[in-house]
Amino acid sequence: MSDLANPAKPSAPGVHPEPLWSLRPESDRASGDAVVSNFLLHWFPAKALKASLDWNYSMWLGTISAALLLLLVLSGMPLLFLYVPSVERAYQTVKDIEYVITFGSWIRSVHRLAAHLMVAAVALHLARVFLTGAYKNGSGRGQKREWNWVLGVAMLLLTLFLSFTGYLLPWDQLAYWAVTVGTNIASSIPFVGPKIRELLLGGRVIEQSTLIRFYVLHIVALPGLLGVLFVYHMWRIRKDGGLARADREALLRERAEVAPAPTKTYTLLGIARGTAPTIRASSVEAADATVNAVPDLTRRAAIVNFGTIAILSIMAVFIRSPLEEPANALVTPNPAKAPWYFLWLQEIVTDTTLHIGSFTINGALIGGVVLPGLLVTLLTLWPWLDRSPAGAAGVWFAKDRRTQNLVFILLAVVIVAFTLIGTFCRGPYWHFYWPWQVWPEIPGRI
Amino acid sequence: MIKDRRDFLLKLGTGCGIAALGAQAGASLRSLVPNVSYDAPTTVKLGLPAEYPDGLKFLPDERLFVFREGNTFHAISAVCTHLGCTVRAEALSQVVTTTVEGAPLRMTHKFMCPCHGSAYSGDGGNVSGPAPKPLAWFHLSVSPDDGQLIVDLAQEVGRDFRLTVG
Amino acid sequence: MERRTDSPYPRRDRPVLAIIGVLLVVSTVLFVRSDRMRDFWYYQYTFKQMVAEKLGEEKARSVPTGLQQIWVPALRRADRCVTCHQAVSWKGFETADEPYRTHPREPIRNHPIERFGCTPCHGGQGWAVDTYEAHGQVAHWEEPLLSRGLGEEYSLADDTNALLQMNCNVCHRYDRETKGMEAINHGKALLKDKGCRACHVINGRGGTIGPDLTNVGDKAPEQYDYTRMYGQRTAFAWHVAHFKEPRALISDTVMPNFHLTTKDAQALAMLVLSWRRASVPAEYVPGAPRTDPVTAEEAHVEQEMKTGPGAWFVKTGCFVCHSIGVFGVKSPAQIGPDLSNAVEDVQSRFGKTIDDFLANPTGTMSVVLSRQIILSPGQKQEAIRNLRAAFAEYQRQKEEGARRGGASKLQGSH
Repeated sequence: MSDLANPAKPSAPGVHPEPLWSLRPESDRASGDAVVSNFLLHWFPAKALKASLDWNYSMWLGTISAALLLLLVLSGMPLLFLYVPSVERAYQTVKDIEYVITFGSWIRSVHRLAAHLMVAAVALHLARVFLTGAYKNGSGRGQKREWNWVLGVAMLLLTLFLSFTGYLLPWDQLAYWAVTVGTNIASSIPFVGPKIRELLLGGRVIEQSTLIRFYVLHIVALPGLLGVLFVYHMWRIRKDGGLARADREALLRERAEVAPAPTKTYTLLGIARGTAPTIRASSVEAADATVNAVPDLTRRAAIVNFGTIAILSIMAVFIRSPLEEPANALVTPNPAKAPWYFLWLQEIVTDTTLHIGSFTINGALIGGVVLPGLLVTLLTLWPWLDRSPAGAAGVWFAKDRRTQNLVFILLAVVIVAFTLIGTFCRGPYWHFYWPWQVWPEIPGRI
Repeated sequence: MIKDRRDFLLKLGTGCGIAALGAQAGASLRSLVPNVSYDAPTTVKLGLPAEYPDGLKFLPDERLFVFREGNTFHAISAVCTHLGCTVRAEALSQVVTTTVEGAPLRMTHKFMCPCHGSAYSGDGGNVSGPAPKPLAWFHLSVSPDDGQLIVDLAQEVGRDFRLTVG
Repeated sequence: MERRTDSPYPRRDRPVLAIIGVLLVVSTVLFVRSDRMRDFWYYQYTFKQMVAEKLGEEKARSVPTGLQQIWVPALRRADRCVTCHQAVSWKGFETADEPYRTHPREPIRNHPIERFGCTPCHGGQGWAVDTYEAHGQVAHWEEPLLSRGLGEEYSLADDTNALLQMNCNVCHRYDRETKGMEAINHGKALLKDKGCRACHVINGRGGTIGPDLTNVGDKAPEQYDYTRMYGQRTAFAWHVAHFKEPRALISDTVMPNFHLTTKDAQALAMLVLSWRRASVPAEYVPGAPRTDPVTAEEAHVEQEMKTGPGAWFVKTGCFVCHSIGVFGVKSPAQIGPDLSNAVEDVQSRFGKTIDDFLANPTGTMSVVLSRQIILSPGQKQEAIRNLRAAFAEYQRQKEEGARRGGASKLQGSH
C-alpha cells in the first residue's frame, strides 16, 4: 500500500500498481504515461502551458461549446425514442414528452436550453478567437491556424443549421412559420434559390417531406459532420502547437533554434510530406511555465464539462420549453418570427427592401442573402486578409490589430442590437414598438 | 480505504458526482418506461348484471358468450381456435349438468363453427373438426365504480371459474 | 523519487470541482422533485379517502393511481382528464365538488367515454395533466374548457352551461333538432325563421349576397374587425354583437337588424361558431345509415310477414329458402319449393310423410337441419302443425279457386 508521502515505485517502467493511476499520476513520467495509456486522455498533450490554462484568456468557451454539444447528444437520445417525425403524430408526441413522460419536460428543456446556449457559446468563442487574433500563426513552423479558423466558421454554420432543423420538429405554429420565413429567404438567392428551397422542403410546400428531411439532417447528417469537424479541429490544435498564446509564450524566451525533426509527420490523409512543426523546445521544457496536462488540464476540463452540465440541468428545471398551437398552414401567427439567432437577419430583410425608381430589390435578397453572405465570406477569408504581425497572435486587444478588433466589435454590437430589436420591439404586423409600449392583444376564439 | 480527511472529501465528492450523473442517466432511461398505454383496452364493460337473462347472451362486439345461472356468471370466447371465425351457439335438445375441472356446470348449448365445421361442447371443449384447442374462458369481475360486469379479454381462466354477484 | 512538477492548480481547482459536484446533486434533487410535484397526486389521494369513507376500504384499494388516459384513435384524442376526475364513472358522488363529481347519467349513456373521450365535448387540452393547462386556460391553446364559468363570463341568458353545445353540434350539425341541445336547437329554429339562407350559403346552399358561412367557425379570430367593438375581443363576442346590430360593427353592411334578443344572439353565435371543418368519422355521425335503406313498402311487407299466419316460418328462418305462398310469406332466395303444399309434395317426392321426413331428412335438408336450423322435438311438432295448417289453407284456396273458376265457366267464357 502506498500513501501520499511514499508513493509506490513502479516495479518496472510503464507498470503502475495503483488503480486509476492515470487519473492521479504521481510523477511527471506517470503523467506522460497517462496520455499514452488511457484512451480517454489520448488527445491531451503531456505538458500544458500555464498560460493556456488561464480562465481569463480563453474563458474556456470552446470547451463549453463542446460540453453543450455532448449534453445535446445525451439529452437527444431519449428524445429519439419518444418523438415521431410524422406530421400527424409529431405534435402529439411532443405534448406527451411535456406531460406524461417521466422527466420528459426536463429532458426537453435541457435539450432546448443547451441548443440555444451552444449557439451563443460558439458565437462567443468565435469572438474570443478573433479578438485575440488566435487564427494567426505565431512562431511555430508549419502552423496552419487559418485553416482551423475556417473549420470553426464551418462549425458555426453547422451549429446554426442544426438548431434550425431542430426548430421545425415540434410541428407547431412557431416551428412551421419560422421555417417558412427561413426557407423563403433561402429561395431569394439568385438562380439557385428556388431549387435550394425545393431541395430543403422536398417539394414546394412544407409538409411530411420537409419534416423527415429536417429530422434526418438533425439527428444523423449534421451531428455526424459536426463530430468529424470537431475531431479535425482538435487535431489541428495539437498540430499547430496548442493555443495561440503558447506561441506568444515562446516568443518571450530566448530563441533557441531547434532543427525540425524529420520523423513522424502526421497528416489527415497521409499524403503530405515534410517535418513535424517545430516548437521552441524552451517553451515545452520551461519548468515554471508548464504543468502536467494530467491532472491539471484534465481537472479544469472536468470542471468546465461538469459545471456546464450542472448549471444547465438546474436551469432546465425552471425554464420550460414553449409549444404553440399545432401547425396550421392557413393561419399565420402575428408576428411570425424566425428563431432568435436569425432575428437579426429577419430585421435587416425588412429594412433593406430598396426601391429604385420602379424597380424593387427584394429585401430578402439584400438583407437575407447578400449581406450575410458577404459577412460570412469576409469572416472566412479574414486570416488571409489580416496584415498584422505574428506577434499579435494570442493577445487580447493587441495594438496592431486595434482597427480590425473595433470593426468586429461594432459589427457584433449591430447584430446584437438587431436581434434585440427583433425580439422586443417588433410586434404584430412587424410594427415597431418601444419596449414600454403595450402590444395589441391578439383576439381569441371564445 | 480512506487515508485522511482530504481523501474522504475527495471520495465523497467523487461519489456524489458519480451518483448525480448516474441519476441523470437513469432519468433518461426512466423516461422510456411508458406511463400511459396507447393499446386498445383489454377490459370491457358489459353492462349491469341485471341486464343479463338466465342462460346465454351473445355479445357480437366482444365476440363473447356470457352465461348466467342465478347469481353465477361465466364467459366463454366465441372465437374459434382454428382460424378465428365466430362460432354459433346451438341449443342442446336436453340440458346436461356435469362437473368440469371440479366445478359443476349446467350446459344448455353447444358451439359450432360455420367456417370449417369445428364442434365444441357446452364447456368450450373441442370435440370434433379442425379446432386444436378448447374455446377460451375469460375473467369476469364487477366494476367497483358503477357495478357493471367487466370482462378481461387478456386474462384467460380455467373452466372452474365462476363470478358470483352479490 | 521521480520528478513531480509543482502546480498551483490543485489548491484552486479542487474546491471548484467539489462545488460542481454539489451542484450536480442539487440539480438531481431539483429535477426529480419537479417531476413528482404534480397536482394530480393530491386529487387522487383525496378521492381515495372519499371512496374509503363512503364505500369502504376494499373499493378504495381498487381506485387506480398514477396517470390515466383514455385513448380514442378514431378521434385522435388521448384524454388524461380522468387522472384527476376519477369519479366520472363512480356511482355515488353526484353531489360532490369537482373534480370528485360523478358525470351526469344522461349524456354519457349515449356517449360513453371509452368511445368519445372527454375533450371532443368539453373542450380543454386533453394532453395535459396540470390543472390550468388541462383546462386550456393557457396561451397557445385555442380550445378552452366550455365550462359554466366561461358561460357566466359571457352572461349567457338561460343556461350558463350551454357553451358545451357548440361542440355537440360539430357532430350533430345536420340534425334538425337534438335532445339536450336547447340553445343550438333554438339557433337552428331561428335560422329557418329569419331566412339566413337568403343571403348566406350555409351548409353548402344559400344565397351569395353575404359571405359563405359553411365553415365560419374556423375563421381565425384575428380576421374579424374589432375596431368598433367594446368589451371582450373574441370571435364569440363579435358574433353576438354583430347579430344584435350588424351596422354597429360594419358600417356599410346590408344585413338588416333582426331585433334579436340577447338570448337569440347568443344561441346563434354558438351555432355559427360550431360550423367547423371537422373530420367526423362515419361511425360518429348521428343518423348516418348503417345499412342499405328499406323502402316503406318493403318495411310494410316485412311487418305483415312477421305478424301474419306464417309468422312461425319467418321466426325460425325457414322462409329464407322456402316461400309459403298461402300465408303471404315470400322467400328472398326461393331455393327450395313452396311449403304451402309440402304435405303432399314431400310424400310424392320422397315417399315419406312430413313427420318421417323431418325425423330423417335427406339431401340439402339433412345439412340444413343438422347445422343451420336445429329444431328440438317440440319445435319439430310445431313445424308439422304449421305445415298442415298451410296445407289446409292451400286446399281451401284450391277449392275456392275451382268453384270460382267453375262459376265463371257457368257464366260463360269470354
